[in-house]
Amino acid sequence: MIARTTTPLRIGVASFAHTHAVAYVRNLLALPGVEVLTTDPDHGDRPGESGGAAMARDLGADYVETLDELLAWEPDGVVVCSENARHRPYVERAAAAGAHVLCEKPLATSVADAEAMVAACAEVGAHLMVAFPVRFSPAFAALRERVADGALGELCAVTGTNNGQLPAGRAWFADPALAGGGAMTDHTVHVADLMDALLGGAEPRSVYAQSNQVLHAGRAGAETAGLVSIAYDGGVVVTVDCSWSKPDDYPTWGGLTLQVVGSDGVADLDAFTQRVDGFSQPRRSPLWLPYGTDLDGLLVAEFVDALRTGRAPQPDGAVGVRTTRIVEAAYASARRGHPVDIVSA
Amino acid sequence: MRTEDGPRVALIGAGGIANAHIDAWLTLGADVRVYSHDGADELVAAHGGGTVVDSRAEAFDGADVVDVATPTYTHGEVVRAAFAAGLDVICEKPLALTSAEAGELVEAARSAGLALYPAHVVRFFPAYAAMREHVAAGGVGEIAVQRFTRLGARPVKPWFADPRLSGGIVMDQMIHDLDFARWTAGEVVRVFARQSVTPDRTDRLGVVSAQVVLTHASGALSYVTGTWAAPGSAFRTTFEVAGSEGFVRHDSAEHAPLRLDTGAAGESHGLLPGTSFTEDPYLTELRELATAVRGGAPARVGAEDGVAAVRLAEAANASLLSGDAVELAPTLEGAA
Repeated sequence: MIARTTTPLRIGVASFAHTHAVAYVRNLLALPGVEVLTTDPDHGDRPGESGGAAMARDLGADYVETLDELLAWEPDGVVVCSENARHRPYVERAAAAGAHVLCEKPLATSVADAEAMVAACAEVGAHLMVAFPVRFSPAFAALRERVADGALGELCAVTGTNNGQLPAGRAWFADPALAGGGAMTDHTVHVADLMDALLGGAEPRSVYAQSNQVLHAGRAGAETAGLVSIAYDGGVVVTVDCSWSKPDDYPTWGGLTLQVVGSDGVADLDAFTQRVDGFSQPRRSPLWLPYGTDLDGLLVAEFVDALRTGRAPQPDGAVGVRTTRIVEAAYASARRGHPVDIVSA
Repeated sequence: MRTEDGPRVALIGAGGIANAHIDAWLTLGADVRVYSHDGADELVAAHGGGTVVDSRAEAFDGADVVDVATPTYTHGEVVRAAFAAGLDVICEKPLALTSAEAGELVEAARSAGLALYPAHVVRFFPAYAAMREHVAAGGVGEIAVQRFTRLGARPVKPWFADPRLSGGIVMDQMIHDLDFARWTAGEVVRVFARQSVTPDRTDRLGVVSAQVVLTHASGALSYVTGTWAAPGSAFRTTFEVAGSEGFVRHDSAEHAPLRLDTGAAGESHGLLPGTSFTEDPYLTELRELATAVRGGAPARVGAEDGVAAVRLAEAANASLLSGDAVELAPTLEGAA
């Protein structure tokens, strides 16, 4: 069991391939009693994109060139922000070096990888948390409370959307070899994680999915739109629109919504709607000035607090595996044109 | 329980606004001593923290800061007593019922070398703060017209209904938006106000709605509406700021992040009552003011702003009486 506790806490950030690294580093640097060290060893694979020592300097974070140097610093925790397909080697090396891990979502691009990562962390007693920031939305927390206290009665159906722009600044998102897929990989798991929380970890049993490449045709090597239908143990059915369907000039990155239907009521969550609206004539564009709670800050705070107090942070690797099962089944279903059963281990 | 570095707060008053303040103070790890003629026991019991004391002197003893949350007409007396005890003050808005008295309080703070912060909490509401940041950065260009509205059920405590004690709706409620209009568009040179009141009924007071037109030194215009509405009316605010390069707008009734329809009357189709899903603005406010009191980062509102806001409300009230526009002479920086 890892029981190393240093004061202050040392948190490493491994790779800037996923741009969420920026928010995580900023939030970590703002936390009292936390030391931060970063590395971005694969930035040479992203020519013309931000990264490496220059990006660390812009963020005001200390930087080393290799993961080995980062791990030699003996961090208490490592935040993995590599390309999806590279999560596994980063997580396994961090855990082997004695660090707890916060891994960017999706946990992995295959169920086999996800299960291996959970096993590798469990073996050495490292906690594995998956970065699902929407779970920390105060509005979602209120919804979860109302569902738990029975305000909606028995849940029966959920319509979820997680729509966004084509991810900018990082070409790998649309490269299946590194991302594992396109929009279906990128966006299904957020809603799937929220469902996991609302349903108390109920197993997804059957998945049907369809996808296309109508949007951003020629710019993406993978699907840019998709619908994923999930049937859970207990009978709840969920359909997720995971498309990159917000236009390039849309005034914000995208958003996430749930409509939850129960036997006694209906709830509508719009997690990123809090904003000042407007219009900019020079930009010839509507304005969207968000003022909602910084979810990345709450996510990072959960990881740090769990490490300080010696508890397992949530959402954990098991959620990461269940959500990865859904994505893997979605691709199988989209290929076959039929629903695919999930037989969990 | 006070945390090691939590402030020691003398909270004077236990009415409506004290409920918002004590929660924020307790979250900040403050040691709160509450003194009030009325309601202190209930306040402390309801919020699970703070200590009731029997005298103002006992509340002041050893305090770092005095939080004045008494009715408006008593602010001056309490603030002066705090200064006499050598204590910094955070005072609920309006600072005083007249700009003359507000100016005297600022002067008293200056000569005693003590801090005085008016609690203009709307500056700390996240939508308003986001708007101000955008406008201050030139996001709408040069401001042409601003609109602010504020509507809530009419307060039931009798002192609010007496203009000699509360200053009326303009001084008590609309002052939030008068302050904000000045924050975004600058000093005001002319004020015009109208007000309409429905008759009181046997079981409740009438509805009051006041409308004010401000002309700013820059030429910008502001239209500010404050309404004390029928009992049970949902609290709602809106704003729009339009300028040469665009506009920004907000309506607190829109963009609810969570809506529930459980078929129950009163809860259907609505934002969950009392839930904003962002940090409590009173917490943001008191954290920032307490930090400033202790010599940390400066606050986004200062004593002069409190005087200026009272001066605008006073001018609007004068316009209500005269039926004519009121010219405001430019003031020396900081003068009342």
